Amino acid sequence: MSRFLRLLSGFDNPLIVKDGISRMRSWRAPLAITLYLGLLGAFGYAIFTIAVLTSQYTRTASSAQIGGSVFVSLAFFQLALIALFAPALAAGAISGERERQTFDVLLVSRVSAFGIVWGKLVASLAYLVLLILTALPLFAAVFLFGGIDFEQFVLAHVLTIVTAVAIGAVSLFFSALFKRSLPATVTSYAAAFFMIVGTFVAGLLLTYIYAFRDRTTGAYGFEFHPLAYGNPLFAMYVVLTSPSGAPVHVGRLLQLLFMSGGEPSLWGPQLEPWQVCVGSELLLTALAVLGSVLLVRGRRAMPLRRSRPVAVEAVS
Amino acid sequence: MIAIDGLRKRFGRQLALDGVTFTVPRGEIFGFVGPNGAGKTTTIRILATLAPADSGTATIGGVPVGDDPGAVRELVGYMPDFFGVYDRLTAVEYLEFYAACHGVDRSRRRRVALELLELVDLGDRRETQVDTLSRGMKQRLCLARALVHDPRVLLLDEPASGLDPRARVEMRELVRELRRMGKTILVSSHILPELEELCTWVGFIDRGQMVAVGPMDQVRDRVVAGRRLRIDLVDAEEGAMRSAEEMLAEHPGVLAVDLLGDHIEITVGEGFEDAGLLAELIGRKVPVRAFSPVAGDLSEAFMRLTEPTEERLSR
Repeated sequence: MSRFLRLLSGFDNPLIVKDGISRMRSWRAPLAITLYLGLLGAFGYAIFTIAVLTSQYTRTASSAQIGGSVFVSLAFFQLALIALFAPALAAGAISGERERQTFDVLLVSRVSAFGIVWGKLVASLAYLVLLILTALPLFAAVFLFGGIDFEQFVLAHVLTIVTAVAIGAVSLFFSALFKRSLPATVTSYAAAFFMIVGTFVAGLLLTYIYAFRDRTTGAYGFEFHPLAYGNPLFAMYVVLTSPSGAPVHVGRLLQLLFMSGGEPSLWGPQLEPWQVCVGSELLLTALAVLGSVLLVRGRRAMPLRRSRPVAVEAVS
Repeated sequence: MIAIDGLRKRFGRQLALDGVTFTVPRGEIFGFVGPNGAGKTTTIRILATLAPADSGTATIGGVPVGDDPGAVRELVGYMPDFFGVYDRLTAVEYLEFYAACHGVDRSRRRRVALELLELVDLGDRRETQVDTLSRGMKQRLCLARALVHDPRVLLLDEPASGLDPRARVEMRELVRELRRMGKTILVSSHILPELEELCTWVGFIDRGQMVAVGPMDQVRDRVVAGRRLRIDLVDAEEGAMRSAEEMLAEHPGVLAVDLLGDHIEITVGEGFEDAGLLAELIGRKVPVRAFSPVAGDLSEAFMRLTEPTEERLSR
């Protein structure tokens, strides 16, 4: 089997098909798309109007500047919307099966624990990706104004999709952990908030603590703690506003992570904030999927290590 | 086909199963009877690979459940005591989904789903959304779901609970049909007269221990000292009733004869041959209109076996 066919076979999962049919037949599916595009469109139009009005007064803003500011605003707004939608879609995926009393029947089928988690994750994320894809024409229209190059356009969407995947995977983990969807959803929203806002605030605090504690830091410029450096908001900001990026050596990032002093390390390749963000979010996704698989597997009787079949006489 | 030996399971301080041992021969319908909390569902969940036993062994078709749960899942169709259904899926899509989950080849899924819908008499509902089906229909659909991979063993946990009488009869006929198809069926239920009519083997469980297991007739005879039979005559005229009474009283194995207005009821001992008595009655020209066991024997057996005793209460 070719690598491409093997990749495709991963999507031949009955849960993906079933959840897809079930979700798209619901009245909520088109409503959510309408709401999403409506909010994004209204927000984009408001920013565009403000930018045009401002340019009339200042007479300095070009079409590229207007396009750039609208694109940046839209990208951040989309990231916020996706962070709001992802827990709602994924946090009830497994706990909902328990509440619907269909989980045991799934467990006695041939679908593996990984198959259940993978199917649920892809089914939830497919809808999020659909939302992002439906908004592409809006971004493409803004892209025509200039001010944003194609690489920035692609990286902004990569960051959004990877963040959606990470929040979805963490929400799925809570869905496997909790028996009911309500606590799973509340915890997932808290986790999403921490991933987007909490890491940035905590990273900034650690950055200032480090700067005050280790005076030598000042000699090497203002350096963000990796918690803030790999934050999706910061990564998005650097991608969209700083074409030259803000590369830092892996060694220096590790020094800053563990807040150790001394000369800045030049060990390892230089990484951009978006690379740190994507890498850490993919790692978080892998851990969340692994945790979910272990939790689902724990609901099944596991094979014993030693075989001990016993012939039993009929009792009458 | 199913063999359980010394199964123990503890939930915290509560001993749910205490050395449960029984076998179910191939092709039999095994009625698993016991009061609430006796350990029926725990036993069924262990057989369905949904829970591990603390000790003891269980094999299905010779495959140890604890050692090779994957192989056991191929052999077993499980119907839990609740029926979860998905919203916005039609009956045929619902079965196709589970067929896919059980690894049924894509090209066969639709045919399998349609055949099963016909089997459970839901062929005309195949495009109906499952959440709009009646309770009885959902229950039959769930039975069809347990059959998508053509398992040799069916584990049915309270399949008739909450069903109206008509739906119960339909479910009973369906289970009989499945036995004719060669399935071995373990069915738990609280509706004892129904189990009595349906099952060929029975096992009583109480407080995690098996208190009686075996073929239905043997268990009933052993537990209920004196099984009862009802005999209706064509004409319930007093003279004919009296002569039948005398004849019955002389028949070996008949412990008591009661004239009850328009019919006669007799109490018979263990191992009594019903067919022999019927042949003798007909041979002696007694005008027999109906000859049947008195319903409720299993209920009586159930009550006797599960009544609290000092020994049980001390456990």
